[in-house]
Amino acid sequence: MSAPPLLSARGLTKRFGGLVAVDGVDFDVFAGEILGLIGPKGKPIHGLRPHDVAGRGIMRTFQHNMPFAGMSLIDNVLVGCHRRMQSGLAALVMGSRRAAAEEEKARRRAAELIGFVGLGDVADTPVVNLSFGQGRLLEVARGLAGEPRLMLFDEPAAGLTPAEAERLSDIIRGIAKRGIAVLLIEHDMRFLLPLAERVIVLNFGRKIADGTPDAIRRDPAVVEAYLGEASTIGAGEEAARA
Amino acid sequence: MTRAAPWLAAAAAMIAVAFLLKDFGYYSDQYRKLMLWVALALGFNFLFGIAGQVAFSHFAFYGIGAYAVVILTFKAGLPLGAAVVLGLALCAVLAIAVGIAATRLEGFYLALATMAFAQLFLVVLTEGGVVTGGAGGIANYRLPALEVGGRRFTLTGPYYTSLIALVLLATFFVFWRLDRSYFGRACRAIRDNPEAAAAMGVDVARTKIVVFTVTSVLAGAAGMAYAFVDNIVNPPVFGLENVFLLLFMVIIGGSGRHAGAVVGAILLYMLPYVLTPLIGHHQALVFGIVMVAAMLFRPDGLVGAYDRLRARYGRGAA
Repeated sequence: MSAPPLLSARGLTKRFGGLVAVDGVDFDVFAGEILGLIGPKGKPIHGLRPHDVAGRGIMRTFQHNMPFAGMSLIDNVLVGCHRRMQSGLAALVMGSRRAAAEEEKARRRAAELIGFVGLGDVADTPVVNLSFGQGRLLEVARGLAGEPRLMLFDEPAAGLTPAEAERLSDIIRGIAKRGIAVLLIEHDMRFLLPLAERVIVLNFGRKIADGTPDAIRRDPAVVEAYLGEASTIGAGEEAARA
Repeated sequence: MTRAAPWLAAAAAMIAVAFLLKDFGYYSDQYRKLMLWVALALGFNFLFGIAGQVAFSHFAFYGIGAYAVVILTFKAGLPLGAAVVLGLALCAVLAIAVGIAATRLEGFYLALATMAFAQLFLVVLTEGGVVTGGAGGIANYRLPALEVGGRRFTLTGPYYTSLIALVLLATFFVFWRLDRSYFGRACRAIRDNPEAAAAMGVDVARTKIVVFTVTSVLAGAAGMAYAFVDNIVNPPVFGLENVFLLLFMVIIGGSGRHAGAVVGAILLYMLPYVLTPLIGHHQALVFGIVMVAAMLFRPDGLVGAYDRLRARYGRGAA
């Protein structure tokens, strides 16, 4: 990784009352990388207002699906394009050529992303009619619509069937291939370890490991903190591969 | 050009009705007021149905527009054009203030705060002394003559009705265009899930303030048109009950839908005229029962019911 990191965190500390959730953690995320983050449940850490986070090209999905329930799938994804829309109200009302071109471009982009996550058949469906798994894919397409440099997934596998999780893994690999940095905050090792290129493990707010999934699997501190009996995990992995 | 055709056709039809009714003073008057109610319902639909702001300040801005143009023209002696511009600016400033409050308050608390604003407006009208004319309001004024290119003319009768038709169409056009843009989607997004909207880059506070400003200024414009319909403005005309009628219009028609606001406004405006000759004051009872039944059985309003019917029979035919 010779290119400078896309996101650099130095000495992150976050306290909730007297409880130190994150204590002096450093990490970097590089473009096109899939970075896994394992740790006690935390919110994304930032001192910015949420819409400014998006404004800097960091888009996200939510652990609990948060669709705009009164809108169609494509309109949900179009909201993700918001940060790229620049026409003023007067231009929107008068229907200026630039506003129309901007809208047309956003619609093409939204349709393309809905196809990318495999929801092309239901693009115009009201989101209340989508399944939970489709709702998660909506979150992915909606986040991507903002042309992120960093895409943050908050427990993306939570609530998905194994088949849906497998499909999502493929999509996430496709996102990284587009040169977007991917940060996965995930507890499900079976989902995270095959997917991530690098994993950072936090325990009691401190970084205890930073390395490839294979190194993480063997790291004694990680095994003790999260994986439990190393042999059982290994056996499970072998069984899954067979 | 084809995109403009439906709007030109609507303008032509509405102006034609204005001229057809020119010898029927009563119906002409009702037609004017109906069009203003439709304009108000369209704005309230955008504020409440699309942006999800439970705000009872909307009708007060109708009153602020009406009083502002009358006071600035006939008490301050300004030319009509200046009075209109200043009056709309006043509506914008007050709307921004209400919008800022809306960034701090949600749901029930916003409803209470905006109701207090509407009530305060009525108190200011009643206690305003010579400026507002107190409880009696201001009367005995007439629309000043306009001067265009050295020629003076006064908009009266069907010509003034046509002006109201254009105000309504312009209002509809603004909301229709905004609704179909990224701005309209951002409004629906903050209605459905403000946290997710913010994560998508929508500045929730700014969007709310802009929504309040646009809807309130257009309500003020409708109020200015109203000021020269009856040529009297007084506190009872702008009573608090009107904003609840707007709420019912939007819900009965179909919240979040322009067609719903139009249908709801026409229906509820005409309902008393149909019912009163039949059952007298009991019409209020029927009105209440219809409202409760509509909310229980058709929360998506008449337009939603129409969509369902069309979906069912459309599929049957196919």
